[in-house]
Amino acid sequence: MKTGKALYLELAGIAAAVFAALLCGFIVILLTSKEPLSAISALVMDPLANSFNIGTILNKAVPLMLTGLAISVVFQAGVFSMGAEGQLYVGGFLGSLAAVYVPGLPVWVHLPLILACAVLGGALFGAIPGALKAYWNADEIVTTLMLNFIAILTTSYLVNNVFKDPESGGYARMPYIDPGLLLGKIVPGFSAHAGLLVALGAVAVVYMLLYHTSIGYELRLVGKNPQFAKYGGIATPRVIVLSIVISGALAGLAGIVEILGIHSTYKDNFSAGLGFDGIIIALLARNHPIGVLAASLFYAYLQVGAQTMQVGSDMPREVAVIIQVLLVLFVSSQAIFAYIKQKFVSGQKAVG
Amino acid sequence: MPALLEMKSIHKVYPNGTVANRGVDFSVEEGEIHALVGENGAGKSTLMKILFGLEAPTRGSISFKGQSVSFQGPRDAIKHGMGMVHQHFMLAPSLTVSENIVLGEEPAKGVLSLFRDRAKEQERVAGLIRDYGLKVDPEARADTIPVGQKQRVEILKVLYRGAKLIILDEPTAVLTPQETDELFDSLKSLVRQGHTIIFITHKLREVMQISHRVTVLRGGQSIATLVTKETHQEEISRLMVGREVLFRVQKTPARPEETVLSVRGLAALDDKGVPAIRQVSFRVRAGEILGIAGVEGNGQTQLVETITGLRRAVSGEIRYLDQELRNLSVAQIRAFQIGHIPEDRQTSGACLTSTIADNLMLDHYRNPGFKIGPLLRKKKIRQFAKSAMEMFDVRAASEQTMAGALSGGNLQKVVVARELSKNPKLLVASQPTRGVDIGAIEFIHREIIKRRDAGAAVLLVSAELSEIMALSDRIAVLYNGEIVALLDNTPDLTEQELGYYMLGIKTQEVASQ
Repeated sequence: MKTGKALYLELAGIAAAVFAALLCGFIVILLTSKEPLSAISALVMDPLANSFNIGTILNKAVPLMLTGLAISVVFQAGVFSMGAEGQLYVGGFLGSLAAVYVPGLPVWVHLPLILACAVLGGALFGAIPGALKAYWNADEIVTTLMLNFIAILTTSYLVNNVFKDPESGGYARMPYIDPGLLLGKIVPGFSAHAGLLVALGAVAVVYMLLYHTSIGYELRLVGKNPQFAKYGGIATPRVIVLSIVISGALAGLAGIVEILGIHSTYKDNFSAGLGFDGIIIALLARNHPIGVLAASLFYAYLQVGAQTMQVGSDMPREVAVIIQVLLVLFVSSQAIFAYIKQKFVSGQKAVG
Repeated sequence: MPALLEMKSIHKVYPNGTVANRGVDFSVEEGEIHALVGENGAGKSTLMKILFGLEAPTRGSISFKGQSVSFQGPRDAIKHGMGMVHQHFMLAPSLTVSENIVLGEEPAKGVLSLFRDRAKEQERVAGLIRDYGLKVDPEARADTIPVGQKQRVEILKVLYRGAKLIILDEPTAVLTPQETDELFDSLKSLVRQGHTIIFITHKLREVMQISHRVTVLRGGQSIATLVTKETHQEEISRLMVGREVLFRVQKTPARPEETVLSVRGLAALDDKGVPAIRQVSFRVRAGEILGIAGVEGNGQTQLVETITGLRRAVSGEIRYLDQELRNLSVAQIRAFQIGHIPEDRQTSGACLTSTIADNLMLDHYRNPGFKIGPLLRKKKIRQFAKSAMEMFDVRAASEQTMAGALSGGNLQKVVVARELSKNPKLLVASQPTRGVDIGAIEFIHREIIKRRDAGAAVLLVSAELSEIMALSDRIAVLYNGEIVALLDNTPDLTEQELGYYMLGIKTQEVASQ
């Protein structure tokens, strides 16, 4: 909860960072492109030019929202888990196993089962670094990064050997999931799939969890001031484990939604960094669920812009990557915002 | 005669917008002890930081010895003959007293002055100690000498660097009454030898005792400069607070009833695993305040932590009514009607980056009355916070204000509000008024006594002897982890008497209860 003015300043700061990053991108384009205006237009306007592109933005935003939420939850608890990527693979993998290898269930039983497997898989995989940190004081940054390798390489081994679809040829994937189980289009003729609804629902649930439940209260207090939490009788280790478990559940959900919405089955290396993008989203969003929603949409918009620019101009998509990187740099430089705030507040407050 | 130091219309606005000084005039004459008083946040420290070159004034001028000066840093100030003794001592613990005094400006000899001249060092340090009567063993290691002597070393450091004007920032905060008397003797002797002293404090008794003149700051402005002989405590405190202050806490004799807290043979270790309290036994009855006096660091922190469940006991028992508290979790203990005002409100007592409402919720968020299913009833929480703020006179824009934006006094009132709003049967109050302004001290003292009169048992731990004596019905003195005296707080009990126990000079056979 923030007072109106603090919130306003925070938003203004982020908007300024976005603007500055875009400006830097434009300068790069102006300096290198033969037809800079059409390149800029391809980057900025084309993603919104037709409903297909808009649908693509929404589809790309779905996993970003979920992993962004996953990271926001742990970050709010003061736990710096980098493990969303690994949890996403584990969740996606277990969910896909349930989808492919559990036969003969009606959809309304089967689909919840698939989601439950994915969520549980991510959550349990998250519990490992959580317990290591809470009870043995192991640094969560190290453990989660290492566990990412374990998750990615183990699932990769399994899908390349044990669970490989014999008909997939050189391509490592499981057999295709029954189309009846996939997440279809929300509106016929519009490319956005039903994962969007799942992601929006998750935004609402995480918001309520963080700001309107006692678990969220404990979680935020542990993140903000562990000593105060201890003094207040909050079982800090339990909260730490719980935060990564919730985070892992969301990451697992991200994995299975991506599979059911986009890939139609478990494919080797299907994520390619969605879990790490979640860190960027959480940074941009200041760990707030509503911010995650906005940041995911914007980030997906930039990604689609990168493609449209590559297609529609002489600029490579790397320019968009430059903008993304600068964005992260600007937003995470807290010092700038502290400075802006000081300028703003200066002379108004008088405290002796 | 022109003043030795003249600070004129000093303004200071910090980058975060805090206005600490708004037109302070401050002048000090040669050879006087000038007290600088004011509530917390009145701008005393800022003014002294500006004087010492640690902060640059936004506006205003400083002249020293008739010359206009603007110091770029402490080095500059020291060169001009100023010295500052900070509240927190800055000694290298593993060096000797003598090495600490000369540190950074050691007498040197030989080729290129590469070698320490120990003979000269000894001679000069011994000379300083002799001339100013600041008794301390120059060869003792700094970490082995008591607090009072550490302070002398700090003063000697300043004198060694040739200071004529010495600034002392709340020098008596860490001292026992005896040590304070000795410090005052040294200060008088310094003044006799031509030094000038600025004495920052908020203890008015000391102002009356030692100073020649006193300047009062309030809200970043200099309110008045008075000749001490021509004024009295009440006038100074009125100027500090801006209104009349009750000096004596008014309370009726205690009417103690059944025992609420009974501690027997309690022992616990500190963070390093060294015994911090040993064989501590006492009891607190409903309707009485038991004060724990003692120089800080004699086990008070560990005692409170052990009772409130933050630290494990090694042995002994802690009974609350019929309930054994020893080694219950903090949550289990907080679930009883036990309130705990922790000694450090900045870290343990409050979450500065949370709202006031969230800070007040610490015990209530589990309370079914504040929930519907898994969801918190935000509206009810806000109402609760609002009424608590009103009842405990917390001055803030709203219950959604960040706790970190509050002044020390208001923040402490939030802590007190939270702990008292659970109607404690036992209140453990540790340093309940440390670093808060006089108005808040008065308020918190009244609240504590109100609880006592309503039948609560109060365990009061404070390094402020005057607070212990003003509030307590009985006083236990903690020295080196043990209770060395258990006294009734009768009118003929003096601070000196307590001081002897606090220093471990006297011990009473404490009859086990």
